[in-house]
Amino acid sequence: MRRFLASVTVGALALGLLSGLAHADSAVTVSDARLRLMPGDLPGAGYLRIHNGRDTTITLVAAHCKAYSKVTMHKSVTKNGMANMEAIQSIAIGPGQDFEFAPGGYHLMLMQRSAPLKVGDTVTIILELAGGDSEPVVFNVVSPAAM
Amino acid sequence: MFHRFDLFVLMALALALSGCTGNDWRTTDVSDVMPPLNFKLTDEHGETVTEKDYPGKATLLFFGYTHCPDVCPTTLARLTSIINQLDQNLRDDIQILFVSVDPARDTPEILASYTNAFGSEVIGLTGDQAQLEDITNRFRITYSYGEPDKNGNYTVTHSGAVLAFDTLGKPAFMVIQSDPDSDVKADIKHLIKAGMDQS
Repeated sequence: MRRFLASVTVGALALGLLSGLAHADSAVTVSDARLRLMPGDLPGAGYLRIHNGRDTTITLVAAHCKAYSKVTMHKSVTKNGMANMEAIQSIAIGPGQDFEFAPGGYHLMLMQRSAPLKVGDTVTIILELAGGDSEPVVFNVVSPAAM
Repeated sequence: MFHRFDLFVLMALALALSGCTGNDWRTTDVSDVMPPLNFKLTDEHGETVTEKDYPGKATLLFFGYTHCPDVCPTTLARLTSIINQLDQNLRDDIQILFVSVDPARDTPEILASYTNAFGSEVIGLTGDQAQLEDITNRFRITYSYGEPDKNGNYTVTHSGAVLAFDTLGKPAFMVIQSDPDSDVKADIKHLIKAGMDQS
């Protein structure tokens, strides 16, 4: 029993290290990171939820990845029934706060795909924070029909 | 000076009129403010088509463009997900007509691969500017092109609403992004069932 507990602890520690959770000073965690892949050379969209576990505000200023040469932060807005997109320069997330990139709202717009991708693949996108930190996030590639 | 009514104004009008009709849509009733389905456009095979080529099914009409990364796929994903929750016999009696207002980039081939990614009930259409003006004027849809960036990419601002027509092409209701899925599902179900009763 004791041995079992010990291995569970080691396992949990390893998991924590892998996801960056073990670093108290970089406790920015993400969930539901997914990349909606569109056919051909059509732009895709990245969505995720970010939790800022730090005791200071983090500011997301850019994102980049190998699979798409152009990644921009956008927000879909509907004014008087008209849908449009606004480019977003930075997103501040306060200590303990969550921020969501979700369909119909904030999204990472992914353009100029440089490698073939299929549903089920994963893509690492680097989120760049003000101050020089960066957070690599693994996105699951999902179908256009996925929310 | 003549100001064309846009969808937003019509929606307010529709809300004001909605007490006057027998319909009981949970989303916005547009049966009194929209004309019947009528168009001449180009399909995914490059053929000229009209509404008569899509008979016998309830229709959801949505305007957008394939380079739209968020709103258009989100709308189509939402509609197909709602349709997929319906019984099979109902699912076969509805179609989604996705009209691209970006014919410069949306060739029939691109439209075909785009709509195939969502399901067989999604049908892509586009047209030349005169044809697109006809259909968008008819349904008070507005759209405009943004300035191209250095790579020639541009965004298209477009009405985000989905218009629903019965099996005879008569206008029924309009769905906007903030309508809850449960309301949209109930209205789509009602629309298809009403069509079955007519036939």
